[in-house]
Amino acid sequence: MTADRMRDVIVLGGGLLGWSAAAALRRKLPALRVTVVPLPPPPDALAERIGSTLPSIVAFHRDIGMSDGDALLRANCSFRLATKFQHWNGELPSYVHSYDRYGQPLGTASFHTHWVRQAQLGSTSPFDQYSPAAAMARNDRFILPESDPASPFAHFEYGLALDSAAYPQMMRAYARHLGAIERPAGFRGVRLDGQTGFIAALALDDGQEIKADLFVDCSGPRALLRSALDQDFEDWNRWLPCDRLLLADAPPVAEPSPLDHAVAHGAGWRWMAQSLSRTSHGFAYASSDLSDDKAARTLRGHASADPQAPISLRQGRRPRPWLRNCVALGDAATMVEPLEWTNLHLAHSAIDRLVAMMPDRDCAAVELWDYNRQCAAETDRVRDFLALHYAASRRDESFWRRMRGTAPPDSLAHTMRLFAERGRLPFYEDETFDRDSWLAVLLGQGLIPRRTDPLIDAVPPAISEAAMASMREGIARLISTLPTHADFLRNLQRQAAR
Amino acid sequence: MGEWMLAHRVVIVGGGTAGWMTAAALAKLLPGRCAVHLVESEAIGIVGVGEATLPHIRAFNERLGIDEADFMAATRATFKLGIEFVNWGRIGDSYIHPFGTFGPGGGEVDFHQFWLRLKQQGIAVPDLDLFSMACTMGRMNRFALPSRDSRRLDSTFGYAYQFDATLYAPYLRAIAETMGTKRTEGRIVTVHRDGETGDVTSVQLESGEKIEGDLFIDCSGFVSLLLDKTLGEPFEDWSKWLLNDRATAMPCHTAGVVTPYTGVIAMPYGWRWRIPLQHRTGNGYVYSSQFLSDEDAAAALIASVEGEPIAEPRVLRFKAGRRARSWVRNCVGVGLASGFLEPLESTSIYLIQAAITALLELFPEKEVSPVDRDEFNRLIDLEYDRIRDFLILHYHATERADTPYWDYVRTMHIPDTLAEKMELFRRRGRVVKYREGVFLDASWVAVYLGQRVIPEGHDLRADAPSAESLVAGMQKLAAEIQSLSGAMEDHGAYLGRYCPMKDAA
Repeated sequence: MTADRMRDVIVLGGGLLGWSAAAALRRKLPALRVTVVPLPPPPDALAERIGSTLPSIVAFHRDIGMSDGDALLRANCSFRLATKFQHWNGELPSYVHSYDRYGQPLGTASFHTHWVRQAQLGSTSPFDQYSPAAAMARNDRFILPESDPASPFAHFEYGLALDSAAYPQMMRAYARHLGAIERPAGFRGVRLDGQTGFIAALALDDGQEIKADLFVDCSGPRALLRSALDQDFEDWNRWLPCDRLLLADAPPVAEPSPLDHAVAHGAGWRWMAQSLSRTSHGFAYASSDLSDDKAARTLRGHASADPQAPISLRQGRRPRPWLRNCVALGDAATMVEPLEWTNLHLAHSAIDRLVAMMPDRDCAAVELWDYNRQCAAETDRVRDFLALHYAASRRDESFWRRMRGTAPPDSLAHTMRLFAERGRLPFYEDETFDRDSWLAVLLGQGLIPRRTDPLIDAVPPAISEAAMASMREGIARLISTLPTHADFLRNLQRQAAR
Repeated sequence: MGEWMLAHRVVIVGGGTAGWMTAAALAKLLPGRCAVHLVESEAIGIVGVGEATLPHIRAFNERLGIDEADFMAATRATFKLGIEFVNWGRIGDSYIHPFGTFGPGGGEVDFHQFWLRLKQQGIAVPDLDLFSMACTMGRMNRFALPSRDSRRLDSTFGYAYQFDATLYAPYLRAIAETMGTKRTEGRIVTVHRDGETGDVTSVQLESGEKIEGDLFIDCSGFVSLLLDKTLGEPFEDWSKWLLNDRATAMPCHTAGVVTPYTGVIAMPYGWRWRIPLQHRTGNGYVYSSQFLSDEDAAAALIASVEGEPIAEPRVLRFKAGRRARSWVRNCVGVGLASGFLEPLESTSIYLIQAAITALLELFPEKEVSPVDRDEFNRLIDLEYDRIRDFLILHYHATERADTPYWDYVRTMHIPDTLAEKMELFRRRGRVVKYREGVFLDASWVAVYLGQRVIPEGHDLRADAPSAESLVAGMQKLAAEIQSLSGAMEDHGAYLGRYCPMKDAA
């Protein structure tokens, strides 16, 4: 059996993703020889370029033996707590999606059932008022989650805002420290084994060929390796209609906010995210509804910076990211707009899975089947979560009307139907966003269930209202006592300097 | 908007475990929102299978505000830490499927992966069940409630009960009736339906009395009075994989210790249960009538029980499978009326509970919404389908070739969903993970390894630590589990102190 064991892995791609994959492989499976061919990431590789990340990055760092401190101090990252969604929902106010518990359970029914009942009775307190992290984000405050479970600030998670230059450098240094080998060269092509169809070798532009048991494709949307095996692709355009992306970087502000902004526009949406190294702006739109020139003018107006060349985005995924001895990660596997910042998250999750499921050299079909099945389940649920933002939108432009008129994917349609009926969320395996995230968006977009769960009858509305008022007041009272995000970062740097 | 019409008149057709569990839950958890009316006939016996349960029942009882010791005393219950499977992989084999983890749990890499790695390296390691609190306590016949501190080793096991199901229903009946459930004694002769909608409108008794309702719960057992007899909902037959269609049951006096686990012993044409209660031991032989006559089954059962029989063997007939839909129109099937899976893994009461939980969460308005109904059916199907695969595994993963029965199940074509799971385990001990579902990783691992599905490889992350440190860690762990278990009270003594039955008459 030892003779069949995986020994050599080649990672194609020298951005943060390729180096992250190399670091994880070396750290977890030290018997593997890992060689990185550090092609510079192409401009349309979103997992490389979108600096806003989900809380899973913190777990990824911990998993590969890196502390938050390394990322924060050595790679110039800052914290991010939430995203504010504006103008997605007609007259309704903006809403904040944080990675937190929204409200505390009351009796046997979940909090949102009480909120829904109060809303039906005419209460107007927004759902996100019950998330302490959302309140922190709106007020530019930050602390780390408290360890006392009784604290309102004990249940949230945070993501990081990455420095696009310093972070990949740090990851490269870390992967090399763990023993990953760097093989600088350009890519010329692949040679397939005539019999098995496996990739036999990678041809480099210095005239040499390198061989491995497994090839990890981190080369971005073109998937230089993986696309040599097949071109299958599942297109999501009808649910996620933005096929163009513009990015613009403005200089950083002195005190970056941990709250990102996602603002709906007549033919898509634009965002703004602050970090220590820059203020990122972006615009995702449908080319059928808006020209690149007009989009660029719009973004320039908001960003006060010149947008880069437009990126073509074909949203969807490979049905089989792993085929034979080649596994695609990041944009090579899935292309999705940065709404909700899942690009790097999906890539990290695939790395974890790759490490956990590492097969023998034969890459047995059943093991790849399980890998691909899990990737598909996870990615489809992310697709649903993003598609929800369009399907539950309320705007009048033809772009948005068209989206409301499009039948959502079946699994999302089921979620929306069930929720609209009685505020219940169906359970699915391999969900990235937990119940509170779904609730934040569903309720934030104005989807109010028709009726409430009879299980809350035991608690009269006046009791719910009193408990809810005390939650709101408790959060409001504490917020002003917390340090600002900028102060928190400065303090962290001071402590490190000592 | 807040006011909407609930299906306020709920009629439960049939008493027994399913009927009274449903009545108690609705009466207790939806007080004032529905009037519950249960119709049962003492002339119709209750099946009363499911004397052994899964840990989930504790949550159900807790929701109903039931005091554990009181309930255990009333139902003459014992504790159950798992199931001992005897003679399954080969004649002479024995393993325990424990409630709880192998190893301390919670690690990034499953404990059994390290264990597999050492075995594959040719290093001697203790049997896997010595790393399970539940297995060790079971083998030593000890019991204590698990610690609530998740960092402690003695928090890594769960438990359920073995009890007299014919006493559980009356116990719940008292709760339901206190909460206002109405009960009518009588045999149903006619089910009336609305000529236009086809919904059930009332059930009529022999006495002529007519009981009307908005929502009907079919707890009529195998008869399936509403779902099958009235609405004609088709039955999905799974007997090509689960071929047992009979059971013969016979209680006996307890000989020897009252074990804190259920016994499941493979027989030439099926298997036999042994469920120790406080006052007696339940026994039964589950078999296939294609291979064994009722008389021979009864004789085999009588020959194999350990204590003196209390009653004559009684035969039950069934078929494995489920209704295509458990909720049809305004009728919801709970328990045997909606499907049957043999009690090999004690899932009967669990399936009742799952249906009740889903019904509470999806409790309809007067007019049933298809959204609620479809979601209910999706949830119930998921439960049945996952348990089905787990049960089939027990038959298929065997080396037994001593009878045509075992030849059939060993070589039968199994569902693809199970074939994939088994092959994954054979490759490197990988268990297809679900976040939810009744049987989690440790259960699958216990059955695979217990029935000789031995992986060729292991998770490569398990190669990271040195063999010496792993061996030392494992020895320490096994010793700790041994010493924690050894310090616990004898199971029988614990019962005598905690929840002695009141009256054995």
